[in-house]
Amino acid sequence: MQKDPQSLGQQTHSNPQILPLRPASQVMQLERLGSLHQSRLSFMRTLIRRMVAENWQITSSVFDLDEQGYGTVVYQIDATFGIFSYVLFSHYLDPDNRNDRVIANQWDLTMALCEGTVDAEQLEFLRANVPKQEAGRVDSRVLVLSRANRSARTFDYVVDELTLGRQPDVDVIAEVGYLYRTTAAYGSGKLGMADWEKVRTKHRDFARPFAAEMFTCYMLRHFSMQQADYLAAQRAPDTAVPLHQDIKRYIGIGNSTGLGMAPFLINHPLLINQWIEMRETALATVVAASETGVDKATLERLDKATLRVIQHLGEIITADERQSNSNVVVRGELQLLHRWLQEQGAALAKAHFVWADLVQYAEQQWGIETQEVINTLLIELYPELVDGLEEQMGVEESHQVTPEMSVAQLLEITEDKYDWALAIDFERFESMGVFWYRSQEKMEPRLGQTNFDMGMEKEMPLAIGRRVRECYNLLHDYHQAHPRQNVAHFILNNPHYSGIVARIQTMAESQYGEIRGNLIDADVLPIHLLRCKLSFFGVSKFDPRSRLWVRNTMFQGAPLISDFGKPFVDDWQFPIKPVLTAR
Amino acid sequence: MKVSKNELMASLRKAFEGLGFQPGDYSDAADMVIWLETHGFDGFDRLQAALNYLNTTAPIHADLIQEDAHDSVLDGKGTSILLCGAEAVDLIRSQVVPGFSAGLELVNCYNRSFILQRLVKAAQRNYAFIAYWRQLDYCVKVSIEAGAELPEYQTFTITETLDPQSLRLFCGADLALIEEQYAAQLQFGTLLETFTGEEMMDSYRDSLEQGIEIDEALWHTLDDLVARILVESTDSSRAGAG
Repeated sequence: MQKDPQSLGQQTHSNPQILPLRPASQVMQLERLGSLHQSRLSFMRTLIRRMVAENWQITSSVFDLDEQGYGTVVYQIDATFGIFSYVLFSHYLDPDNRNDRVIANQWDLTMALCEGTVDAEQLEFLRANVPKQEAGRVDSRVLVLSRANRSARTFDYVVDELTLGRQPDVDVIAEVGYLYRTTAAYGSGKLGMADWEKVRTKHRDFARPFAAEMFTCYMLRHFSMQQADYLAAQRAPDTAVPLHQDIKRYIGIGNSTGLGMAPFLINHPLLINQWIEMRETALATVVAASETGVDKATLERLDKATLRVIQHLGEIITADERQSNSNVVVRGELQLLHRWLQEQGAALAKAHFVWADLVQYAEQQWGIETQEVINTLLIELYPELVDGLEEQMGVEESHQVTPEMSVAQLLEITEDKYDWALAIDFERFESMGVFWYRSQEKMEPRLGQTNFDMGMEKEMPLAIGRRVRECYNLLHDYHQAHPRQNVAHFILNNPHYSGIVARIQTMAESQYGEIRGNLIDADVLPIHLLRCKLSFFGVSKFDPRSRLWVRNTMFQGAPLISDFGKPFVDDWQFPIKPVLTAR
Repeated sequence: MKVSKNELMASLRKAFEGLGFQPGDYSDAADMVIWLETHGFDGFDRLQAALNYLNTTAPIHADLIQEDAHDSVLDGKGTSILLCGAEAVDLIRSQVVPGFSAGLELVNCYNRSFILQRLVKAAQRNYAFIAYWRQLDYCVKVSIEAGAELPEYQTFTITETLDPQSLRLFCGADLALIEEQYAAQLQFGTLLETFTGEEMMDSYRDSLEQGIEIDEALWHTLDDLVARILVESTDSSRAGAG
């Protein structure tokens, strides 16, 4: 039952000078990770801030489309530290062959982000390989490879309206939110591309995690609207109108994300730790900033942002009952927050640690999704305190055994840091009800049912909790027999456990990183994993299509290329339908 | 054909998994191959030799057959350093105590050059290492100072009887301490060749910038090994796809 937070401003607080980060036992619960929203530290947000502030120049050096919109386009990007080329091939695709799954082999658009300029020879090389995607090969001059499919409904509607000299109805746009949806953006050295290490060390413009991949999607968004304008102008040169700038800003890029993203989170715990720790640091920093009170303008900004989220969630169309119900609950709880801000504003301005009280109240009275919306909104209030953390989102993923550690100490660490894993009862059948494996079809990760589906003997090692339990049992027995021995000797006797020992010892030095859930439980919801990663990408409008994949929208509400270099308030998160202004 | 480091890493890990390596082992083995290849030590040729053996047997690890306060002997039982190199380096590290270095002999093992990556990684934890072994008719000596990012790689004429398939390893707080404690065992013949850190770094930078050249046949061999861990796709399995 929802409660009214009237008493919030009167709560006392223990007034710590440095507020502690939230514990991993709270933050790393699978359901909470699956409730995260993008923040100022999300990769799309930081990329946009950089491009706008540094006024990247983006021009089309080749725009060779036929009257149907098929052909080749090359954009040249003059960024701050380098020149890049975005090469796009637009193909005819039989609607019957349009498939968003990883296993597809044809797409409406295929694209490559390359370093430097692209000459005729390289363009031909790319033309021969980029449309093949996984079936082709590129080279280390390519940073990202991607593809996209058209939303036939929205795209054709928008072009038809523009052709008739009218702007499309925003309500129709809102139902989908994009003209194209990307189905993959490969980087980090796949298919012969440049290694992440090369990108990070050579190309400062894209040296943050996933910056090049996000940029590739941003350019897709730009092209999608340019192509719509182009087609309308081709069809009716005298009467067609270009898309209104406000509608353009409201158009994003669609995205479907499936299980392929899940193993990344398990296999990069140090990186996940870094992302979460920076987000938690941001939250603790802004909570501490309310120590001596909050000014009226800040309270008003929070109230305005709250109303915006309420509208944003109300505009999301999803058939997923769980998500739909959640959106309703969050909107109701945010209405209470809005009322509280309206009624208590004057008193709150003078209260100490009002944000700590708000966070605490939300944790006690409201749902997890509402809590995480509020955390995101609080982080938004203090860009000057938070934005510097964006440079600390990367880390090298390296796990190493500490062989000189005693077995006794390793047991203690396991009991302390992996208590959540040791609490899982793996004797229950349901605790091992599913298994993860790679399919022969493009090595796609899939989820199988134990004792039903084939392939359990080829299970992917993502069940960290179970592996920890097995290792702990062996450690315990070994310690009983050899109480003075160290980890090196344990591994000599149990060589198959060196990997999990390295992980336990490495992760013991960090706070976050391990997702505290049993990923092989019969009832596991992998979409929580996907949403966690997507929140750090910066997507919005989560629309789960099953427990295995989720639709979402990228860059909806973001500035356009024509906005670069102009005064910019970074508040495009939680996009809402635009009210069209004069051009 | 050229591949990227990340791509090679992913392929090698899965290929070693296909050979029966466990988590941890397959990552270590992939790291060893990549380090050797990208730093100019013909890692792929040595990998091919290792695969000829690894493809014929289940993974075998070394056994500890002798140990005192600072010195130990491991029996590799004919296996590859790709499988027992990490254990050897972990064990010798654990035997170093303040003021005393440690020595280890790993007998009956193959593909010893792969040990370089393990030494480089452990050096980041402030351990110094000297390793040597007989290679054909010369002796390879590798030394790396505590905290250094690259080793020194030298070859010498052979002056003592060296088991053709053994590896001697010394570890301590710094190279001077190791050389002082184990002076008698660290006598080498005439220096034949030195491969400097600068040469290694040039090779690495080139690999990163241009990609890594790999023989297509070897790449396909890795693909075949990777296929061992893939599960046939069926209508039922597609229901478990996201």
